[in-house]
Amino acid sequence: MPATTTEDLGGGEAIIRLQDIAKSYWREALEIPVLKGIDLDIPKGGYVALMGPSGSGKTTLLNLIAGIDRPSGGGLEVCGYALNDLDDDELAAWRNAHVGFIFQNYNLVPVLNAYENVELPLLLQPLSRSERRRRVLEALSLVNLEDRMWNYPRQLSGGQEQRVAIARAIVTDPDLLVADEPTGALDHKNAEEVLQLMERLNRELGKTIVMVTHDPKAAHHARHQIHLEKGVLDRMVEVNQ
Amino acid sequence: MIGLLVLLPFAAYLGWLLWAAFFLPVPLSYNLRSLWQRKVSTFSTAGAIALVVGIFVVVLSLAQGLSVAFVTSGRDDQALVLRPNARFELNSSIERERMRILKVHPLLAREGEQPLCSAEVVAVKLFQKSNGDDTNVTIRGMEPMGLRLRPQARIVEGRWFRPGVSEVVVPRKMQGRFPGMEVGGIVKMGGRQWDIVGAFEAGGSSAESEIWTDVADLMQAYKRDSYSTLLARLQDANRIGEFTRSVDEDKRLKLEVVTERAYFKELTKAGDPIAVLGNLITVILTGGAIFSAMNTMFAAVANRTKEIGMLRALGFRQRDILASFQWEAILLCGAGGLVGAGLATFANGIQTGTTSFDTFSDVGFAFTITPGLMAQGVAFSLVMGLLGGFLPAWRASRIPLTEAMKGG
Repeated sequence: MPATTTEDLGGGEAIIRLQDIAKSYWREALEIPVLKGIDLDIPKGGYVALMGPSGSGKTTLLNLIAGIDRPSGGGLEVCGYALNDLDDDELAAWRNAHVGFIFQNYNLVPVLNAYENVELPLLLQPLSRSERRRRVLEALSLVNLEDRMWNYPRQLSGGQEQRVAIARAIVTDPDLLVADEPTGALDHKNAEEVLQLMERLNRELGKTIVMVTHDPKAAHHARHQIHLEKGVLDRMVEVNQ
Repeated sequence: MIGLLVLLPFAAYLGWLLWAAFFLPVPLSYNLRSLWQRKVSTFSTAGAIALVVGIFVVVLSLAQGLSVAFVTSGRDDQALVLRPNARFELNSSIERERMRILKVHPLLAREGEQPLCSAEVVAVKLFQKSNGDDTNVTIRGMEPMGLRLRPQARIVEGRWFRPGVSEVVVPRKMQGRFPGMEVGGIVKMGGRQWDIVGAFEAGGSSAESEIWTDVADLMQAYKRDSYSTLLARLQDANRIGEFTRSVDEDKRLKLEVVTERAYFKELTKAGDPIAVLGNLITVILTGGAIFSAMNTMFAAVANRTKEIGMLRALGFRQRDILASFQWEAILLCGAGGLVGAGLATFANGIQTGTTSFDTFSDVGFAFTITPGLMAQGVAFSLVMGLLGGFLPAWRASRIPLTEAMKGG
């Protein structure tokens, strides 16, 4: 598939720019290529679902975009930063400022309540306690969970836990949200609620979302679907909503 | 030089860790609650630390107790005159003629016409303790002035001994540790029966390990021609050097002078074997406790790998994770240390004794737990947390991010 440009994904300024990205893992002396020659631009405000069979490299690609992993080759610019040029500490600070994470299993800290879980990323920013509180309450109200903020994860349903995780992802007001199978652990009703919430974040707050999913129904909520096959971009599909 | 190379990084790490305690982005409440969540491993590790710290504090309190027994015994303005190289009263011997010359020394303090000094004889006698073991007990014969030179000694039952009628007084503490020492009872020494006419206390000093009687009675019973020592108060504590030289250089005397405080300080070495044994036990248990803390923390890291991955993904740096887990280990061990130091206080005041290898006699003393010793115990537990927690914390901070997010 030729390079996917911002025009292909609805136009506008690119927030994610991948040029000839490659990623390999080494098992002793054996190189295992996972991604090869990925050229992809995603515009600001885009909502992209990365799809493909297991082992196609979609989670690896998501990790590279989110600054969790580093490419073996190629150029990677996200939110205006060339991630290859950042050292580990700078990359950590960059993630905190620019990326919100939504995980399949929510990854909430079980010993912290909903409020404290949402507050976690703000602890790294130079904010007063009252400012942190204001932002946490705002994020929790966006996911409609203000009344459960003192509950611990074990006291919440799966859907509520994922909504807390979404509140945590947006509390720093990041440009980019990355989601790895965000509905993988939810029943149909809760999954639909979470997907609608993500759609709102994209449409109303302009958040750029990159989501890895196996689920075609979940992918249908995105504006575009990008299919990977054996580590290369296979095809791009525009979703008619 | 090598020590410096080891200590400098350690000190730098410690300094950074203290700084991190105040500016650490990962809240300590996260660590405290994580410890509380894993109650079984937390309590078993804290229990092991408490045991070690308890033993550590009790061992230190033995030395403290001995120190109280001996150091409170001595005064700087009182001197003990001994035979040269005798080192201890039991080995010393001073003939009557020399004693007569000593007693008129011009540097001795006086009370009216009487010099403030006491010619004394020290002997030992085998007694059976309450637990059935035999041990030597020091018997001290003194002149009436001997009581004036020991103002901390006071009768708590009965009265002081009288000369010439084979009477003794015994320490109150000894009554609990040796049977048959009640006032009104009888002890057999030197082929005679002695009436116990009083019980005394002496401020926890080593005097509370001795039976006291009149020196002439004791010399007669033990068929001694010479005294053991002279205890004398000087006119001025600053003139002890002058007194020492004078006694050493006088060809008629040729005796050795030590201040009473220095003499008793030397005796505190009686506790060295106990301290060595106690420290050895502490070292062995410390190794076990550190291993236990390390094991608990490695398990915590393994169980929370995904959490670590999530924290790193949110922007927490490797050193934030290192400090967080290191503090968790320190808090865990510190809690154990507090419990251990608290438990050790139950030993405070318990009377015990040891046989001095210098005097071959029993030295009674009490376990003395002071706030300083408890603080040392807690500090010791914090060091255990530092050592036991370092490797797991380092491991937690070094798990590759992608691996941590998958759960290791």
